[in-house]
Amino acid sequence: MYGSLTRYELAWPLVVVAAAVLFPPYLNNYLLFVGSILLVYAVLALGLDLIMGHAGQFALSHVAFYGIGAYVTAILQSRYGVPFPIGLVAAIVVSAALAAAIAVASVRLRHIYLGLATVAFAAATHWVFEHWRNLTGGVDGMRLPPADFMFFRAVGDAANFRVLAVMFALILLATFLLVRSKLGRSMAAIRDSEHVAAVSGISVARTKMWVFMISSAYASVAGSMLFVFNSFISPIDFTFAPAVLLLTMLVVGGMGSIPGVIVGAFLLGILPEVLRTVLRNYLVWQEFVYGLILVLSITLMPQGVAGLFKKLTAKRREAK
Amino acid sequence: MLKLEGISASYGAVQALEGVSLEVEAGKIACLLGANGAGKSSTLNCISGVVPIRSGAIWFDGQRIDGRSIEQIVRHGIAQVPEGREIYPEMSVADNLVLGAWIHRRDTKQVRNDIARVYEIFPRLKEREQQHAGTLSGGEQQMLMIGRALMSRPRLLLMDEPSLGLSPVLVEKLFEVIEHLNQTGLTILLVEQNAQLALKTSEYGYILENGEMAFHGPSGELRSNEKVREAYLGT
Repeated sequence: MYGSLTRYELAWPLVVVAAAVLFPPYLNNYLLFVGSILLVYAVLALGLDLIMGHAGQFALSHVAFYGIGAYVTAILQSRYGVPFPIGLVAAIVVSAALAAAIAVASVRLRHIYLGLATVAFAAATHWVFEHWRNLTGGVDGMRLPPADFMFFRAVGDAANFRVLAVMFALILLATFLLVRSKLGRSMAAIRDSEHVAAVSGISVARTKMWVFMISSAYASVAGSMLFVFNSFISPIDFTFAPAVLLLTMLVVGGMGSIPGVIVGAFLLGILPEVLRTVLRNYLVWQEFVYGLILVLSITLMPQGVAGLFKKLTAKRREAK
Repeated sequence: MLKLEGISASYGAVQALEGVSLEVEAGKIACLLGANGAGKSSTLNCISGVVPIRSGAIWFDGQRIDGRSIEQIVRHGIAQVPEGREIYPEMSVADNLVLGAWIHRRDTKQVRNDIARVYEIFPRLKEREQQHAGTLSGGEQQMLMIGRALMSRPRLLLMDEPSLGLSPVLVEKLFEVIEHLNQTGLTILLVEQNAQLALKTSEYGYILENGEMAFHGPSGELRSNEKVREAYLGT
């Protein structure tokens, strides 16, 4: 009824783990680094899609929770010697608690005002990253020690990449489970019609709060993942630009579709790397290319890659 | 069973309802008529707890229910079939029904039985069980909305213009279903534009004008009332 997972949904996380075990020996450090970034983007995008694509709400605070995840994990380990797994959980708890506080405070806000409240939170968080110098190092950023995984010693980019791939696989599995759970169904109900959901006895406010907390926790996990393979973070990593990039991933990939969102995250995540080699001396055009992709995607495939794929398969079925 | 005592409600500065009183007896069908914007939907939404009332009281089975949460009111046994095509278009017909049983979500066995019961009333929905609800015809979507409301096991069903946008043949079928549901013991408060049919099907009628109760009485009497005929029946 609140169905169990399909075979595909069980298979994909396993494929990810298998790929992570097999491929790294064939990849150089640069490719491993790009691969790690893509996994982080995918987790961020899946988290944002929970609230935007699956629950139909708007939030621009993900970049803040992304930063909180990175800073909490980093500060705990480098200043207090707390190993990564514990730092990860602590960051999730901090993020979820903050998200709950925002949800309670903004329960009376709707539509654009809720969006604005999340923008305000993102701006305030960024300010804290810049000004709480004793803790974050301010605008100079923070040098990060290699992640201490507690249970084993991992050295090098390949090992880090494998840890990230396993984390991504778990997040993917969690997302499939969540969408099919009762909470997942009530999210979709609210997206389609708040009125009907409410008169069916679904608590709209409570559902929104849960989605916001979980989706913010995803962003926090992505931030912790950033800590694993980066040796440096600074407030610049958590500005408005990545927030917009994240939105673009959802639009291009197709909101509400898990495979679509992952494809969107991979496509737009790899783009700067491609542009860097193709445009080289014309890097100022990078922003223009982003804009072009966004406009083309909205006009040519309003449902994103996922919608396009759906349309094509439907046509083929009709042709048969 | 249901009793509204002089309820008033407003949206911001706009007054929607002013001292509306109404009563529905157990096992009966009552209808609520009126022009667009007269306050019919607002009345239903006040009963469901979606719109808070400013003054007055709402009683259900001897308990005061105004001020309670929507969820509590659904648990008391009041379900609403909203106006328009308010289905979950991306979900299957079966999933739409499952979500209607949200307050019984822990009792999967009961939910399964209730789905089977809804399919007995609407065999057409059984045929489309796995189809996306958005692909159903207008009439089928209306059936799905009624089926979904039944899934919460209501004792009182509030229906908001179920005949809206349906062909005359389908409207007739719809009213057969309404009468059938009533015969199984369900009490119904029906909001309608189709005054003729609504007054024929119901025992008691209320007519709202600009948020206030203008007429009420046994449906037969309303049908022969000169003013009602002129304003609402077009004869």
